[in-house]
Amino acid sequence: MRLNRKVIPWIVIGVAAAAAIAAWKPTALIYGVQRAGLYAAIAIPMALVLGIVHIVNLSHGETLMVAAYATYTIAQALGLDPWLALVPVMAVMAILGYLIFQLTIKHTLKAPELNQLILTFGIAITLTQLVTLLYTTQTRKMHLSYVSASLSIGETSFGVYDFVFVAMAIAMAVALNVFLTKTRFGKAAVAVGQNPRGAAIVGIDVQKVYVVIFTLSVILTGIMGSLFMTRQSIFPSVGGPYTMKCFSLVAMAGIGNISGILYGSLVLGLAEAVINGIKGMSGWSNIVFFLLIIGVIGVRAFKERKI
Amino acid sequence: MKKITSGIFPISLVLLAASLPLFLGAYPQAVARSVFTYMALALTWDILLRSGQVSFGIVGFYGLGSYAAILLAVRAGMPPAVAIIAASLFAALIAFALGFLVLRLRAMYFSITTLALAEIFKVIIHNWNSFTGGPEGIVLPQVVFNGDSRALYWLSLGMVLVVVAVSVFFEKSRLHYSLTAIRNNEIAARTSGVDIFANLLITFTVTSLLQGLIGGVQVFSYGFAMPDSAFDGNYTLLPLAIALLGGIHSTWGPIIGAILLGVASEYLKLKIPYGHLLVYGLIIILVILFIPNGIYGLVRKGRSKRNG
Amino acid sequence: MKKTLAVATLFAILTAAAFGQTIKIGGTWPLADVTGEQGSKAAQLAVEEINKAGGINGRQLQLFIMDDELKADKGVAAIEKLVTVDKVDFLMGGMGSGVALAQVPTMKKYQKIVMSTGAASNLVEKALGADATWYFHLHPWDYTQGASYLEGWTAIAKKYPAMKIGKMFLAYEEGAFGKSSYDASKTMFAGNFKFDGASFKSAAMGGGDYTAVLEAAKEFRPDIFLWAGYDADALPILEQAKAMKYAPPLFVGAPPGWPKDFGKSPLANNVTLYGMWAASINDINPVSAKFYDAFIAKYKAEPATYFAPLSYSAVYVLADGIKRAGKDAFNKDGSVNNEAVIKALEETKYLSALGETITFTPSQVIKHQGIRNQKILQWQNGRQEVIWPFEVQTKAPVYPFAWK
Repeated sequence: MRLNRKVIPWIVIGVAAAAAIAAWKPTALIYGVQRAGLYAAIAIPMALVLGIVHIVNLSHGETLMVAAYATYTIAQALGLDPWLALVPVMAVMAILGYLIFQLTIKHTLKAPELNQLILTFGIAITLTQLVTLLYTTQTRKMHLSYVSASLSIGETSFGVYDFVFVAMAIAMAVALNVFLTKTRFGKAAVAVGQNPRGAAIVGIDVQKVYVVIFTLSVILTGIMGSLFMTRQSIFPSVGGPYTMKCFSLVAMAGIGNISGILYGSLVLGLAEAVINGIKGMSGWSNIVFFLLIIGVIGVRAFKERKI
Repeated sequence: MKKITSGIFPISLVLLAASLPLFLGAYPQAVARSVFTYMALALTWDILLRSGQVSFGIVGFYGLGSYAAILLAVRAGMPPAVAIIAASLFAALIAFALGFLVLRLRAMYFSITTLALAEIFKVIIHNWNSFTGGPEGIVLPQVVFNGDSRALYWLSLGMVLVVVAVSVFFEKSRLHYSLTAIRNNEIAARTSGVDIFANLLITFTVTSLLQGLIGGVQVFSYGFAMPDSAFDGNYTLLPLAIALLGGIHSTWGPIIGAILLGVASEYLKLKIPYGHLLVYGLIIILVILFIPNGIYGLVRKGRSKRNG
Repeated sequence: MKKTLAVATLFAILTAAAFGQTIKIGGTWPLADVTGEQGSKAAQLAVEEINKAGGINGRQLQLFIMDDELKADKGVAAIEKLVTVDKVDFLMGGMGSGVALAQVPTMKKYQKIVMSTGAASNLVEKALGADATWYFHLHPWDYTQGASYLEGWTAIAKKYPAMKIGKMFLAYEEGAFGKSSYDASKTMFAGNFKFDGASFKSAAMGGGDYTAVLEAAKEFRPDIFLWAGYDADALPILEQAKAMKYAPPLFVGAPPGWPKDFGKSPLANNVTLYGMWAASINDINPVSAKFYDAFIAKYKAEPATYFAPLSYSAVYVLADGIKRAGKDAFNKDGSVNNEAVIKALEETKYLSALGETITFTPSQVIKHQGIRNQKILQWQNGRQEVIWPFEVQTKAPVYPFAWK
């Protein structure tokens, strides 16, 4: 993560804003950060695939959903805590990701990007319907007492479990940063993302990079799916809204900018929390989300002076 | 000789479509209306695509048109035809204004911005309870033609023929060259004198007008508007799938794609009541994998092979 | 002699064939959703039971099921198919109000008798108009539900003086369902009670963050905290409330259905709910027990929402009405004699699996409204027990609500 002089004034503004929010309504700050963690953690794997394999995976949310159901099933069947069931689920997701890539996505890489878009759209529909046939649309939720873990500061009590998502997001960002900048494979992957033909010329196995990165992304999404399941109810179409939100977040951060996702999600999470905290305004939080996205995209385009 | 035959086929197709209600019942007519709606949306999406811009926001102008039409009828007492036309112009106006902000963006940024705009329209209409009726929606006292299946069918057919005509116009006029040039290489296009912004603005405004028109016709055919149905997520991505499976950058492609997917989905529903959507998803995957240029793309390839 | 026998047999066969015609019922449901899937299956179960018991006036029933895919245009196409292709005599089904709105013009076109199990939005009623005497609405309207809650809480407070109910806070999901619940509740309660509310985005639509509404509720300090959302909100809102250490004296949920195994969660204990049916009604109502056992036996699944017993009842109510219309039910050409069947249906007094006797009385616009009330229930020891109406009460309420 780059910490040059340009970023410092933004950090100062950010801290000031956070302090202001905390003074007005401390829980808004807490919940905003927690929500940001959730968005960021789900968006980072999508950014990874988009930045290196250059495909928009419209089945991203469904991958989350499938992992959540797998975790639920394994946890219930074996009587495990979902955090433990996470391990076999990672294996399941790895296999699933590998299969999806080899059977379908690999064959559209040479085709126009739109083909990949609609292919993943078809995969999303298929996964949703498959789960519907197996589980029906009735919601499922495991009861886990630690999810209600709470902390009290004075009169206010708030939930602390959701900081898990913040931790996951940061861990993912840091781990990926190390992976992509310090390991040989990671550096090769970055090269492929920037220039696949050039990378092939210097001898990098581009196909191998694609397979590994896609499978890795599915595994990471799978982990998030397991965690998601502990906190939220699951049903076959639970993933859909997250796909588009992540896509927007990734676009806002800029392709390939993983740390940007952390900042972006923080802004969005806090904005949502603030709007929700104002009486009668909660219906407008969605607008704020999308206006911010348009704003950031617009400012960036203006700065880069696109045609 | 070629010109005559290339004219006869489409004309006979239109005549066939127009005469369908004479030998097919109310159920196929209702299915056909759904097919026409998706066909028209897919065509408007494809027209803009020919310039290289991928829109995820066609449902935004469709929904705007729906609501404008129904509000003009319910709150201002306008007759249906006037309301639909006014609603289309309203959608075009909004697109024109937004175009100055949005058409400077490219690729994924443009796509996400169109998505964001559609969401913003939806939220505004959803929250503006007093005017739009809020999440519960608004009902029209009367459906047009009193719900007569044939009349509704011909209305829908008329609507899609207008969209087809516009698509053909975009293919045959000078716009075709400008848009293709922009799609292939903007810098080269600019150098050869194409006013990129003007072309994009015209295309964006016209396609948004059409999307508003489709929405207006829909709302008068079914007699109500609700935010969830006017801005239904299916209208965002299914027209894309239809255009792609049929063959993009063409008028025939979306037509073929809409008929294929529309009829297939209804047929599957009758055969597999619980679970037909699964097969539907598989069809999309298989066609994209094995017919990457779309069905019309196959036809075009075959034709160019024949012509040497 | 042989010739007379032959002619007589032929006559008998032809007469039997004419009377042996099936009675066709066409139903539209959202089959991909558990409510429609189970609703259609429950209707199918009812049809098979009636046929096994000899049918109606010697004729067998046949059910045609069409998926409305929760979409307006598909819902309309489904009715067109049922009426023009399958040539059904009666229509039934329904769940979503949006689809119902779209179907109204088409239903008006054909004027088949409709036994509707869906649509709570009063917009549908307004669209139907007072002339739609062929429309029988089994599901309560949002405003009749609101009135029943007022009646229920007032009765409960009277019978159990320890329970205070003067202040109510409604957290409602921001869609059509939540908004109409809020409007109906506000109309009913704002007069005599202190009433406030706030909206949230349901987890079913990608939301799932209740902290804002819970904080607002905490500040308001209501006697009744009520949330109107979907099954996806049920446990998360409880979990977040617990994390915020907020325990209102009455924690009431009003989703159309509950998550699988919700009862097994310790947080569920003593959560009050609005609903139309619960398995505990099996203990006091033989029709419910029969339905429950038969549904599980045939489909190996528990009824997840009240739409299953409601659809089951719809078929029985319709069949009962046709039966009582007797020979007049059908004209000589085989078509339905609407007047006769409508008249017979108007005299319906059917004890249903939902625990109440179904009759038809006018509501604000239409003439034939069936069920008006929801019930007030409470989760106790993993089971939904009926608190109100007292005639079908299975257990007394536990008060106040507290975290274990």
